[in-house]
Amino acid sequence: MTQFRIFAATALASLMAMGAAQAAALPDVIRKAGVLHLSVNATYAPMEYHDPATNQLMGLDVELGEALGKRLGVKVEWTDVAFAELIPSLATGRTDFIISGLSDRAARRETMDFIDYLKTGAQFFVMADSAAKEPADLCGKKLGTTRSTSFPGDIEAWSKKTCEAAGKPAVQYVPGENSIDVRNQMKQGRIDAAVQGSETLPYAMSNEAGKYRILGAPFTLGYQGIAFRKTDTALREAVMEALGGMIADGSYVAILGKYGLAANAVSTPLVNASPL
Amino acid sequence: MHWGRWFAAAVILALLALLARAFALGQIEWPYVARFLTVPVIINGIINTVVMAVLAMALGIALGVTIAIMRLSPNPVLKSVASGYTWLFRGTPLILQLLLWFNLALVFPTLGIPGIWSGRAVDIMTPFLSALLGLGINQGAYTSEVIRAGILSVDTGQYEAAQSIGMGRLRALRRIILPQAMRVVLPPLGNEFIGMVKATSLASVIQYPEVLHNAENIYYANSRVIELLIVAGIWYLAVVSVLTPLQMLLERRFARGTTRMGR
Repeated sequence: MTQFRIFAATALASLMAMGAAQAAALPDVIRKAGVLHLSVNATYAPMEYHDPATNQLMGLDVELGEALGKRLGVKVEWTDVAFAELIPSLATGRTDFIISGLSDRAARRETMDFIDYLKTGAQFFVMADSAAKEPADLCGKKLGTTRSTSFPGDIEAWSKKTCEAAGKPAVQYVPGENSIDVRNQMKQGRIDAAVQGSETLPYAMSNEAGKYRILGAPFTLGYQGIAFRKTDTALREAVMEALGGMIADGSYVAILGKYGLAANAVSTPLVNASPL
Repeated sequence: MHWGRWFAAAVILALLALLARAFALGQIEWPYVARFLTVPVIINGIINTVVMAVLAMALGIALGVTIAIMRLSPNPVLKSVASGYTWLFRGTPLILQLLLWFNLALVFPTLGIPGIWSGRAVDIMTPFLSALLGLGINQGAYTSEVIRAGILSVDTGQYEAAQSIGMGRLRALRRIILPQAMRVVLPPLGNEFIGMVKATSLASVIQYPEVLHNAENIYYANSRVIELLIVAGIWYLAVVSVLTPLQMLLERRFARGTTRMGR
């Protein structure tokens, strides 16, 4: 009986310690307020977007954020901002961290730290009736993408490597305001192909069935990251632990599977691991 | 001694100094502002801004004069067309008009004169042309009202006198009425032109490479949003600061022969 009591006491103590360790890792400010403030750019289905019928905020990032908040024992309050506003929102403290389809990239790691949580990469797609059969067919053609992303640089690098190195003409980059504008320009024929994050293409294709066709595998490989201020190591550790827990018990893959992105899962959360 | 004035001036200066201090000590990284203030991309941007503002204003004035004259015409067809034009282009947001011009291919995939020439709308409606048409035609609706007010402000006696020496309506307008209307028309038009310089920033959403668009491209790459917007703001201020005394000079020239006081 004594042994059992000792065992029970130890088990209870370690459970409490684990629970306390998880909650204690959260910065005091957030723990006391009981609220996590997060900004998203809700124009990026299926990662974050507003349901056209109800205007409700939805998406993979939103569900992950809510699940992380629940694990950390806090409520999440979401605000909508423009994509270019995400990083300033982190700097000014408007958002506690960024989980909004933001790629982990070397230039961004100068001012932020990332927990990589989703594999991604830039991918070409064309109208279903396009003559292009493979990415190399796009040399010399007009390529569009959202100018506020890191994709223009990716396109230029790809063009140098695949087109100009093979003696073909370089691609002509045509900027767009957002992914909807880019698809609109492709429908009108202003551009021949477009580039988007590979995680958004299954949704875009299912939304307008039969209109588009993906061209080739993603031509860059990297990660979407949850971005933290460099000074917020405690918060980052807490979120990392929570995410690790979600991967371990399968809830992470379940959320990804809901959006058709189970193949983009990471096996453990990584910090600043993107090769880009 | 005007003690009140001294005190007020001191308070205002103190507030300005505190404001300047807050900006200097804030999280804005001023070295980036200095660094990007004169890069070629920004200079090209402000040149494109001024070029578009001048051309769109010219188009707006040309359309405005035409529509104002049509509006004051006894011909009911001309009158309704002018009213309809003003209603439509004053009644819709400028950003919507710009987007419609840029995406004209959704409605007219090809443009042209049947039998002579045609082309794809996406090739014809470049960002430059879309911005020019969008801004100019929108401006025409507002300018037409300003010109109409100017024409109405000229004493009807002038028109009767012109008629009495045998001038037709259009001739009277051109030689007698409009030159006198200029004095009344210039201050609001100068105002509109300054507004146009900044309205060109809306053309950034249709990819016209004016200064805001180019500043945005820089901060999309290096994340220094406020610093680059301050760079664009400085250039807009510089352009408006040059235009304001120019407007004054132009007004003085058209006010020749009239004085508000004395003879």
